[in-house]
Amino acid sequence: MSNSERAREDVERFRERVGKLREEIARVIVGNREIVDGTLTCMLSGSHALLEGVPGLGKTMLVRTLADCVGLKFSRIQFTPDLMPADIIGTTVIEDGERGKTALEFRKGPVFANIVLADEVNRATPKTQSALLEAMQEHRVTVGRTTYTIEEPYFVLATQNPLEMEGTYPLPEAQLDRFFFKLHVPFPSREELHAIVDRTTTDTEPKVEHVITRDEILEMQKLVRTVPVARHVQDFAIRVLQATHPDGEDAPEQVRRFVRTGASPRGAQAMLLAARVRALFDGRFAASIDDVKASALPALRHRLLLNFEGEAEGVRADDIIQGILSVLPEAKT
Amino acid sequence: MARAARLLPLPLLFSIAALTWIKVARPAADTERTVLWLGLIPLALFAGGVLESWFRRQPRHRGAILLDRAHGLHDRVTNALTFAELPARERTPLMDAAIDDALATVTDVAPRRAAPLRIPRELAFSAALLVALAGILLLEVRTTRVLPPERHFDPLEMSADDLELFRDLAAELERQAQDPEAAAAVRRFNQLIEDIAARRLDRTEVFQRMAELDRELARGEQADKEALEAGLARIAEELEKAGLSRAVSAALKQRNLADAEKAMRELAEALKNKKQAPSKAELEQLRAAIQKASQASQAALKRIESQRQKLEEERKSLLEKQQPDGGMNEQTRRLLKKKERELERLDREKDRAKRAERQLSKLDRELAQAAQDLMKEAGLSGEDLERAAEDINRMAREEMSDQEKEDLRKRLQELRELLRQQGKDGKERLERLRRFSQRARGQQGGGQQGEEQGGGQQRRGQGGERPGEGQGEAGGSQPGRGANGREIVLGRGSKSIPMPGMGGGESAGSSGGAGEKSGGSGASEGGKEPGTGHDDKLAGDKSELKGRTQDVTAAAADTGEGTASSQVIYGAAERGFVGRGYQKVYTDYQTVAEKVMDEEKIPPGYRFYVQRYFQLIRPRE
Repeated sequence: MSNSERAREDVERFRERVGKLREEIARVIVGNREIVDGTLTCMLSGSHALLEGVPGLGKTMLVRTLADCVGLKFSRIQFTPDLMPADIIGTTVIEDGERGKTALEFRKGPVFANIVLADEVNRATPKTQSALLEAMQEHRVTVGRTTYTIEEPYFVLATQNPLEMEGTYPLPEAQLDRFFFKLHVPFPSREELHAIVDRTTTDTEPKVEHVITRDEILEMQKLVRTVPVARHVQDFAIRVLQATHPDGEDAPEQVRRFVRTGASPRGAQAMLLAARVRALFDGRFAASIDDVKASALPALRHRLLLNFEGEAEGVRADDIIQGILSVLPEAKT
Repeated sequence: MARAARLLPLPLLFSIAALTWIKVARPAADTERTVLWLGLIPLALFAGGVLESWFRRQPRHRGAILLDRAHGLHDRVTNALTFAELPARERTPLMDAAIDDALATVTDVAPRRAAPLRIPRELAFSAALLVALAGILLLEVRTTRVLPPERHFDPLEMSADDLELFRDLAAELERQAQDPEAAAAVRRFNQLIEDIAARRLDRTEVFQRMAELDRELARGEQADKEALEAGLARIAEELEKAGLSRAVSAALKQRNLADAEKAMRELAEALKNKKQAPSKAELEQLRAAIQKASQASQAALKRIESQRQKLEEERKSLLEKQQPDGGMNEQTRRLLKKKERELERLDREKDRAKRAERQLSKLDRELAQAAQDLMKEAGLSGEDLERAAEDINRMAREEMSDQEKEDLRKRLQELRELLRQQGKDGKERLERLRRFSQRARGQQGGGQQGEEQGGGQQRRGQGGERPGEGQGEAGGSQPGRGANGREIVLGRGSKSIPMPGMGGGESAGSSGGAGEKSGGSGASEGGKEPGTGHDDKLAGDKSELKGRTQDVTAAAADTGEGTASSQVIYGAAERGFVGRGYQKVYTDYQTVAEKVMDEEKIPPGYRFYVQRYFQLIRPRE
């Protein structure tokens, strides 16, 4: 079997597993294909996602279902203003040991799981948020002189409610940048609402099964990193990123007028990694410009900082990114 | 291509507009060339843009990208091409798979679909515009050119009275002119007056001729005069040192060249007179003074030159202090500026001294010769001094010539100012002047012209020759008012001058008519002023004196002093500016006026009015 055929088989296997995951999730979660794909993309990229949407749209349910499907350790943290870093990281307690001796023992907090749901992350104080975000970035936690590594795969899904801003601590830009994607959970359509009501108001509760193992996920994450990206695709992603900067070469008028700061290089990394995942989802062997375009919105929307005029005019980051994608030529010398 | 087709109509429209304008407006050749270029530039820019985009380097794999887009291939072609360019050992299995995938998937692609060659719709519009442009190029527009109307010759007019005045002035100048140059200038001035009188010149030409004449008269005059005076002052200073030449020095110091000449001749005579010859010491003193005087101009020139050289050296040393980067400190720069200003002043002085030296060179030579001859024989020296006196005489004559030129310039200035003022309200003014000059000569129609100007608001009373001849008062619908005397109005807008007791009586004239006058003593009805007559019965019955009376006739002595000035002026207002009495009064008054003006008590802006006033009231023949 040639390398090419082996690669073809790997990609086919990847598609099958993703297909199974989608089917299993769809048994609980109605619609929201994009959110499901976005969440899977984050997970398979080894990154984290921020879900934004009003309460009751099934954000928590999605994450719980995903955790059930993959058979990984799942923990949920409800962020509140009085939540302390130790509450999520863990704390050292005095334990009675053998022969009546007492010893200090570190009890791991909820961040030590494979899938962590940080519900309403903007309700906790910045100190607690920082503790979580550090764990997200480093995949390890240091308490005292001891560093504890978090088991791979590690996937954090944070949610936040865009409506109730009172008493919240909006995530600083630097911390938002650590989220791979920011996904907007939309309100379900009429058909979807019918399906939701049908599933949740009867005596039959939908159950999901483990369809994928931890090792398989790690294998899929590894495959994602091997997907090649041609120079013109990478160049397009970089030009999109540059165009988000007001002083960028290809920045359209809207960006110059309303944007204070453009996306960081993490934005380009996110776009290209997500493009790789999308190519595999489609059974292709290389990322394309279309994949980059599709990833641009969730990858960049939380990385753009609007200026005062943009805020006052009610301009949305999504509109600006769409504007860039519509005017930016796909090829440039 | 589509973009080019969209943009092409713009330069075409611009060119059509430019060409149409050229065809219709028919501008001058220069303008036509400019507009043509302006019309061609957008076309040229467009052509340049098309060429530039044609030859511009295209992005890599642009065609492949277009193929992918057109067929929805998700960059399979482009990716495969990119990966295929890599060496086989560098390719990953997924790259190979991508190439295989592209080969398997992309079986039927159509470049025509990816980059279709469509003729843009805008091209039809551009073609139509091109045809229109060609049509306009071939089009010949007949135009009627309106030639500018011929310049209307509007001769400058001056009243006969003013012409006569300036003729008189020119004749006076001609009589006085002794210098041929001044006489020629006066003749040109005279010719100018005659040309104006003959209406041969318009206003511009007259002013041009006056400017030429003025320039000619002013040429170098002031500078030469100043230089000569400075030179003579230096000579006077040296001559003062000898007792014999002190008289000459005093006259020279006072700028009185005639006296200087006279004093010089006397000195020459004194030297020639052997019987009363001056002492040796006096002669030696005189020789030394004359010697120094002859070298005064040269010495002044040398002194200036040495000062100048010294300053120049100082300036050079300051410049040497300049820093290598060309800069210098503030104090040095100030000093340098000061030196440069001083140098400029010395240059001016040198120029003046040279001019004086040129003018005084002959006198200097004579004086030098006289000083030399004094050592041999006093008589010889006397002859030299006589020649020096001749030279002073020449300079005096030249000074007189300058004075003549100055007089002529004054007249020119008067004429210029008069014409400038006259330009304000042209013909009306001339007509008024004509009437005025008639009256001034006493040629009025004896109160026959009743004039009413300004819509009947301003009345003019004109004096008649005989008392009792009143001017027609405007009656109109108003009942007649008694005019208790005459009114004299001189000049436009002047207040009328009531002349009590001169005329009067009832006036019942109609507007513009000549009123018939009653006798000079009638009480005026309705008049505000008291009349000069009286009621017959005012004094009652005549006295019946018993005593006898005897009539005695006493003849007054004729002192020859004539009437008082005020009476003369009143008389002039009645009879015109004629007669010897008036001439005398006029001369007195004018002398005072001239003196006041010379003392600059009259602001320059008003001098013209004073001069003009005296011109107008000057005595007539």
